[in-house]
Amino acid sequence: MELLRTEGLTKTFPGVVAVDDVDFDVVPGEIHALVGENGAGKSTLIKIFGGVYQADRGKMYFDGREVSFSSTHQSQASKISVIYQEFNLVPDLSVAENIFIGREPRTAGGLLIHWGRINEAAAGLLERLDMKIDTRTYVSDLPVAERQMVEIAKALSYEARLIIMDEPTATLTEKEVVKLFEIIAALKKEGVAIIYISHRLEEAFQLSDRITVLRDGKKIGTKATSQTDKDEIIEMMVGKVVTEYFVRRERAEESREVLLEVRGYSVADHVEGIDLKLHKGEILALAGVIGSGVHGFLQSLYGVIPKKSGEVYFEGRPVEIARPKDAIRLGIGYVTEDRKNSGLLPDMSTLHNLTLIIIRAIARLRGLLIRDREEQARFKDIRDRLDIKVASSGQKVIFLSGGNQQKVVIGRTLLTDCKALILLEPTRGIDVGAKAEVHRILRELADRGMSIILTSSELPELVNLPDRCVVFYKGRIAAEFSQDTMDTGQLVAAQIGHSAEKAAGRARA
Amino acid sequence: MIRFLKLYERFGIVIFIVIASVFLAVASPNFLKVDTLLNIVAQGTYAAIVGFGMTLAITSGGFDLSVESVMSLVSVSLALLFPLIGIPLSIPVVLAVAASVGALNGLIIAKLKVSPLITTLSIMTIMKGVALLVAGGRQIVIQEKQFMELGTGKVAGIPIPIFIMVFFFVLFYMILYHTPLGRHISAVGSNENAARISGVKVDGVKIMVYTLVALTSGVASVIRTSQALIGSPSMSPGFVLVAITVTILGGTSLAGGRGNLWGTMLAAIFISMIYYGLNLINVQIFYQMLSVGLVLLVALFIEGLRVRYLAAAKARGIKV
Repeated sequence: MELLRTEGLTKTFPGVVAVDDVDFDVVPGEIHALVGENGAGKSTLIKIFGGVYQADRGKMYFDGREVSFSSTHQSQASKISVIYQEFNLVPDLSVAENIFIGREPRTAGGLLIHWGRINEAAAGLLERLDMKIDTRTYVSDLPVAERQMVEIAKALSYEARLIIMDEPTATLTEKEVVKLFEIIAALKKEGVAIIYISHRLEEAFQLSDRITVLRDGKKIGTKATSQTDKDEIIEMMVGKVVTEYFVRRERAEESREVLLEVRGYSVADHVEGIDLKLHKGEILALAGVIGSGVHGFLQSLYGVIPKKSGEVYFEGRPVEIARPKDAIRLGIGYVTEDRKNSGLLPDMSTLHNLTLIIIRAIARLRGLLIRDREEQARFKDIRDRLDIKVASSGQKVIFLSGGNQQKVVIGRTLLTDCKALILLEPTRGIDVGAKAEVHRILRELADRGMSIILTSSELPELVNLPDRCVVFYKGRIAAEFSQDTMDTGQLVAAQIGHSAEKAAGRARA
Repeated sequence: MIRFLKLYERFGIVIFIVIASVFLAVASPNFLKVDTLLNIVAQGTYAAIVGFGMTLAITSGGFDLSVESVMSLVSVSLALLFPLIGIPLSIPVVLAVAASVGALNGLIIAKLKVSPLITTLSIMTIMKGVALLVAGGRQIVIQEKQFMELGTGKVAGIPIPIFIMVFFFVLFYMILYHTPLGRHISAVGSNENAARISGVKVDGVKIMVYTLVALTSGVASVIRTSQALIGSPSMSPGFVLVAITVTILGGTSLAGGRGNLWGTMLAAIFISMIYYGLNLINVQIFYQMLSVGLVLLVALFIEGLRVRYLAAAKARGIKV
């Protein structure tokens, strides 16, 4: 019997039907993937399950009984646990406190928190997840992957029978994803039902028993995973046949001209003795899991964090990049991996977000007075070039979709006419359509001679997008692949520290 | 509704002013007279001028508690300098003193990474001490009577402080909305990391902001000192709260990133209107303070509703 079933579930907001007559079900021990482009209604649907929103019409049954959740509390009491993309954790509380927030074990009198028991119980839950973190650590000190484990531990502590995960892998490295999948598989074995939302189709296929596709609030269909394929699902998602959404780049000619070169480059706690060349018009991907130092290396290259030693040559000349300003002056652009914390200016308009870097350069009287017309012209130019969907230049950037926000962050840098572009996780948390667009933009830039260096935790992006992929492991270069020598298995192996030979040797044995 | 809320974000204070005007016009026949109105605006000029500086500080994500002590320091310095170097030279000198105290605030905040709260609180205490020390712990009567003209004189029937306020309004308006510096101030307040990555000289912006706040404090103090003709080492206690009040009431976001200079100026006039107007109908000072406090609470309450409504609308997929 179904654990959760809906009939004709509908949720209307003024001006938009977010969830339109949806029949959906999930059975115990099932992993049910929920896919669809941004705005398809996935988030609204799971918020109805989670008690954040209440449906206007339709019925919802949990465990055979008709239910309607008027609060998140009621949903939780029914043993439904929703893990949202932006976690529901309190950064300034410890891991154990977060897991048991609001239900802390008390001492005999009931007045004080029983610290011994709370930590013990939390450790027990984390043990089930095979996690070794001190339960007294503050959540703010944990990396994203571990925060997610804390969320899962919290769900376990509720003895959740249905766990809903919204884009759980968006911020994880491939290795952490493997770990997460193991845990999901274990939960499934225990009979827990899982609704899994992801932009990564291959994950849905790897993991799920069934896939439900939403589009414009409507359910397009539910397929048994074993009886469908990616093309069909993508077709259902976008409503038209897209045979190839990942086209390899045809390069006219190898450029051997070096734009940027580092020699013996070291960054404390990140990388040691890196030698690397970036050619003109090349797309170079740096692969590496957390701890590989890839992010630190690129941040340092742009002057966000200081380097320890090493030389940098730009267009053949030795240069010092101590601050982002130095990099910008040389013509190096940078797109952060964390739009929220270091990319967007949330209180400001799309226009002001886009022109932030160039505003002084295009001002008159030696950068004193802003030229409004020039600013608008630059805005229109980049809006059209990147096809940024924005109602007006004054629209606040937080009201744009994730894909358009990413284009704003990229556009801000492109307005500087940079020669090299550093991108960290350029397609994190944006939908399939926007991803393809970002890839197209990057290819076009490279075709026009821009050199691009990027890092990604998405395997398809590492395999298909770049001309060359260099793998970092524990702060050193572990492997390098060109388009011809690219091998997905070896790439993954190199990222987690198996050398190609070892992997091959194991295969033989 | 959304259009109304967007208008409210910009001009919400106007609604308060209209309501208060109607009330006062009915309650007192003296309210709707040119002199009364000009007096109300003139009384609001200090709060407005310091409010302009405070608006920049709050837009940049900080604030400045040291304005009163800078005002005191400027006041006693004026009284001491007049006999030595004369009025025309004294004014730029004391404004430079004020600006350097502000630069010190900015330096500590930017380079030593001390929070604006702690920094400006410390500087406030230190500068209060310095002002008392310089003044010998007492008020200094200013003998140069002609100095009074600056704060009390009129040109074309309009009090001079109003001209000064308008001048600084235009200046700060240009800075905040029409210069790269202003854009950078908003950017730092909105997301400091993003600003730094985009090549904004965050430290320089902060130093500039606190220098400008102190400069506005200095200007306000010069006007006030001129009206009282006394160099006071403990000028306007509690004034810092007025400056912060008019800034917030005017619609500048406490979270930073969004400054509203029109709002600040109108809020300063509004506060002045409440004090002056309630005086006009013989309401006691306690009730005047009480009503200002209430208005602030109501304004922040409406602001909270507005933000929540827009967020809810956005969550429902409505274009806002």
